[in-house]
Amino acid sequence: MRFRHFLSIFLLCAALWGQDAALKETFLQAKALWATQGDREGATARFDSVVAALAPKAAGLEPEWIQVLCESYNWLAVLDDRSAQNKARAQVRLQALIDLNPDFDLDRALTSQRLAAQFDRMKGEKFALVKLSYAPEGGRLTVDGRATPALPRKYLPFGNHKLVYARPGHAPAEVTLDFAPKDAKPVDFKLTRTSSTVTLYTQPSDVEVFVDGKSLGYAIGKAGPEAAPLAVPLGLRPEDLSAPFIIPELAPGKHRLELRAGCYRTKVLELGAELATPAADHTLEPIRMEPSRGLLSVSSAWPGGELFLSGRSQGMLPLTNLQVCSGPYDVMVRFPGGGFSQRITVEDGKSLRLEARPKPRLAFLGLEGGDFTGRARFQALLESLGDRLQQLAFLPAHAGEPAAEALVRLKASRDAELVLLARPVPDKVIHRVELLVATLDGEEERLVVKPLEQDPLEALAARLNAVPTLHRPGLGLSALDIPGEPGPWVLAATEPALKAGLAVGRPILQVQERSVSTVEQLQQAEGSAKGALSLVQEGATSTLPLQSEALEIPLGATNLSYPALLAHLRLLSAGAKGDEANLIKLNLALGLMQFRKYDKAIELLRDARLSTVRGVSQGTIDYHMGLCFLHLGSAYQSEAGQAFRQSLKYPQSTLLGPDGPLVAPLAKQALEDLK
Amino acid sequence: MLVLSPWFRPPAALLCALPAMALAQAPTQASAQDGDLADRLYHSGERAYASKAYKEATDTWEQLLQTSPRSEFAPLVLLRLARHQVEVEHKPEAAKPYLDRLRSEYIKAPEAADGLLLHGQLLAQEARRPADLKDAMAEFNRVLDLFPDASACAEARLELARAWRDQGQWGRALQQAIDAFRLHSGSAVAPRAMFEAAEILDQMGDLPGCLRMLQRVRSEAPQSPEAQEAAWRMAVRVKHRLQKPPFRNEGPWPAGRTKWLKTPTLLSLAPDGDLLVFQNDLDRAFRLHAAEAGPLGPPAPGTRALLASPKGALWMLTKNGLVREDAAAVQPLGGLGAISGAALDRWGSLWVADAKTPALTVFAADGGSRTVASPTLNALAPLPSGGLAVAADADRKLLFLDAEGQPRIVVPYGKDLPAPFRTVTALAADGAGQVAALVDGGDFGEGVVIFGPDGALLRQATFKALGISGRITSLALDRSGGLILCDRRNDLLIRLN
Repeated sequence: MRFRHFLSIFLLCAALWGQDAALKETFLQAKALWATQGDREGATARFDSVVAALAPKAAGLEPEWIQVLCESYNWLAVLDDRSAQNKARAQVRLQALIDLNPDFDLDRALTSQRLAAQFDRMKGEKFALVKLSYAPEGGRLTVDGRATPALPRKYLPFGNHKLVYARPGHAPAEVTLDFAPKDAKPVDFKLTRTSSTVTLYTQPSDVEVFVDGKSLGYAIGKAGPEAAPLAVPLGLRPEDLSAPFIIPELAPGKHRLELRAGCYRTKVLELGAELATPAADHTLEPIRMEPSRGLLSVSSAWPGGELFLSGRSQGMLPLTNLQVCSGPYDVMVRFPGGGFSQRITVEDGKSLRLEARPKPRLAFLGLEGGDFTGRARFQALLESLGDRLQQLAFLPAHAGEPAAEALVRLKASRDAELVLLARPVPDKVIHRVELLVATLDGEEERLVVKPLEQDPLEALAARLNAVPTLHRPGLGLSALDIPGEPGPWVLAATEPALKAGLAVGRPILQVQERSVSTVEQLQQAEGSAKGALSLVQEGATSTLPLQSEALEIPLGATNLSYPALLAHLRLLSAGAKGDEANLIKLNLALGLMQFRKYDKAIELLRDARLSTVRGVSQGTIDYHMGLCFLHLGSAYQSEAGQAFRQSLKYPQSTLLGPDGPLVAPLAKQALEDLK
Repeated sequence: MLVLSPWFRPPAALLCALPAMALAQAPTQASAQDGDLADRLYHSGERAYASKAYKEATDTWEQLLQTSPRSEFAPLVLLRLARHQVEVEHKPEAAKPYLDRLRSEYIKAPEAADGLLLHGQLLAQEARRPADLKDAMAEFNRVLDLFPDASACAEARLELARAWRDQGQWGRALQQAIDAFRLHSGSAVAPRAMFEAAEILDQMGDLPGCLRMLQRVRSEAPQSPEAQEAAWRMAVRVKHRLQKPPFRNEGPWPAGRTKWLKTPTLLSLAPDGDLLVFQNDLDRAFRLHAAEAGPLGPPAPGTRALLASPKGALWMLTKNGLVREDAAAVQPLGGLGAISGAALDRWGSLWVADAKTPALTVFAADGGSRTVASPTLNALAPLPSGGLAVAADADRKLLFLDAEGQPRIVVPYGKDLPAPFRTVTALAADGAGQVAALVDGGDFGEGVVIFGPDGALLRQATFKALGISGRITSLALDRSGGLILCDRRNDLLIRLN
């Protein structure tokens, strides 16, 4: 799409450039045909074609083309004047010329005296002559507020006119004149200097110029031949420099000149006090900006990622030592499912490495209509929500795109896993906004907030950032906080823990040589350790390896966003294998059960096989499958019964986590109820 | 016949049309006005209610129901009026018409879920036997079926769990209790549901599961009242059932105090864990709090049984009848003259054992009474299952009865002990499943025995071995796994640890 757009612009520019060249060629041919070959008709035809091309757009023509058009009228008037058939048309040509540019003077070497006199007479019927002198020259002349070339002679329509002549560093001069037929008035502009000016050229152009921290604009365009004395000594061509940029009013004293341009190091110069006093015009040496770049490397363990820097594709990952201009970027890596986004700043001459882990993408569809107090603030908060999200890649809304269209687009492109839509709740006075978070598969939840509260998106951001873990480190033991016991009291332990020397029925006094008094402290030690933990119980020490214990996601929790959680699990599922993948499937099924999508949950559970038999394990999967079948109604009673019976084969399977309730008594009761 | 002139017809037609036009516009305007009025009435009532001007508030809301019955505030007002009757006026019957109307006219409103739940809770409170819970359970199930996403579902599941528990359906009770916290993580109901699940697991014989669940309560809701309750229940279960340390006589309790009571004869535990002591020479009961005894309730000479209602009110059974702290009059007990023990069940019925009557007498909350076949009983204590532990010296058996009074476990005197005893002087329960018996006679002699909820012997000791020589008449299990003995001869309490 983008390529086609650029192609069309390129072709148009090429066509225009080609057209201009052809027109100029026609114009030159016309001159030559008559001057060298005396081909009056051929010349007239060509001048006519030039006029036909330029006259309709005369108001918007560049000065160069105005000149071509004026000359064409002049030549046509002369040619027509020499043709008996077309003689009358000469006057029309002259009138068109006067209307186009009254300041244009005929080529009197080319034009007969009679025709020139007629031209002067026609001009004198509408315009008066004003003879101008400028001291100093090089300033800007305006007539009735409109800029016009500062020529020594100008023709102005009869009536009252205000002429202003201004030049940087000088006080402007103005004069108001009343012109009557046959008037010819002189005007001498003599400006008084008020301050110094500084003219500068930059290489390259498009550089923002700051003086004392205040932006004065951009040095843009290309310098003309007048810059050659400055450019050539530096080994540059004049067109390599920007057009002159004039700092107009340099107050007395020192000044700080700062030049900024993307991809270049910011340049800071001091303008000495001697530049400001005495007042004079100064031209600085051309200022050459030095490129500023850094290296960016982005990799990912997930396949198929494509890197975008501030919206522009940089290619597929991994990308190593990518040379990029220094500065801030919005990094986005698009994966086949999910995305990674981060705001980074590449520093000059430095390397930055990123490891991209795909996160679910949350596309903001927009804030729907309905005016309310604080709407602008609320909208701004929504648009900056991405800055507060650690677990999701935030995609801002497309400007002007209605939410419904955005949703259709996203469903077609699958460029996001989640959408967010804000809808004012209709009321006499709107003071509630509903925030809808949904997956593209339709699992959705709503949160109603008050737009005028201090941070109306706090709860949403917290929910979107909360991602429960599917594992916890454990030692294979159950411990209790028993009042009166000096430490966590061991209720039960797995076979390996017992073999390692752990004693059931005794408190744990120390973990890793630090005393512990509660189960919470023991769990903290488990969470912060790696490998194994040494425990002390009444003088006996045992070392237990840490194991990863499976967990179920909490259901019905008000601090979680279940659409976001499903999106996370779906992404995780794509890159997982073995028991890990099956545990994710179990939890995905739980998430779907939360939305009462029992059939979808069964599909997942049926494919899931856990090799473990204790804690959240195969029996847990079978039990949940039985529950899902029960929810599907009496048609699936036999399947439900089969699943519950299957779960009874795993008497140590639990719900929630390793210390959760056993599945077996629940399954037994469910089977009893099915009888 | 009057014929209008052609000039007059257009204005006449217009005049004829006006009422119709007005009627067409009227419902919209009236509806908007009704909405505004309802809004103002609701908030006016809310303001009055917040300032405890209940009459003004309820009148305003009643007016809203009359003037704007179709308003979005109407179901909310019905619910609030019902709650007011229950929570402030304490007139559950008066709440029912509001709840009935909410259910019949506004079943689609979100407030209907809370209304159904409240109605179910009122019905459950009224129930006097398991079969009475049917209607309440129907309401709880309606909440789940009709409003599966409502916050009321968590409470409805917990209520269903309790209802199944009260019917002795432990498996179903466990399912609902677990769902109440599993499907509503982090909700206010979750700690209560976990606690309930723990107690049900204990009833089902899964002590490790019970202890893990109580630990979960403490870990996930450490500040909740259930966590405080869980702490002592874990402590006593672990001590009595798993650790089973030998009894050790700590001597006079509290703080070694001796000769400070006036013939203490009966002990009981209040719901908050405070010890209640009846001092025979003072003819009244005392609450022992922070090592100080304060008088409690009216004088009740000749008290034979002492108990505390679930709300903490003191009940004393005497020859003359039942003396209640929360009732002015003495209630006759049908001529029972040799009361040997009493317990309140969860339906509010008082079960009384009489040493001269070969039956249990049950006094219902509505005043009626019935007898349940039983041998002559010497002692009685309530069980957390809703049943009773009773001692029949004539049969030399300890019986664990279910909520219907039917024996479920029979433990012969002396089972698993080195020697049998002959009589049981008193029984005490700790609310966590343990039953303590004060025994005497036989080769075992005078001593204490602690049984588990399944009748298994947990701990035992003879007074001789403990060096106790007083006259012990009553006992109580405290919340630290200790046993308090009442020594009437020496006017003191003794603690065994």
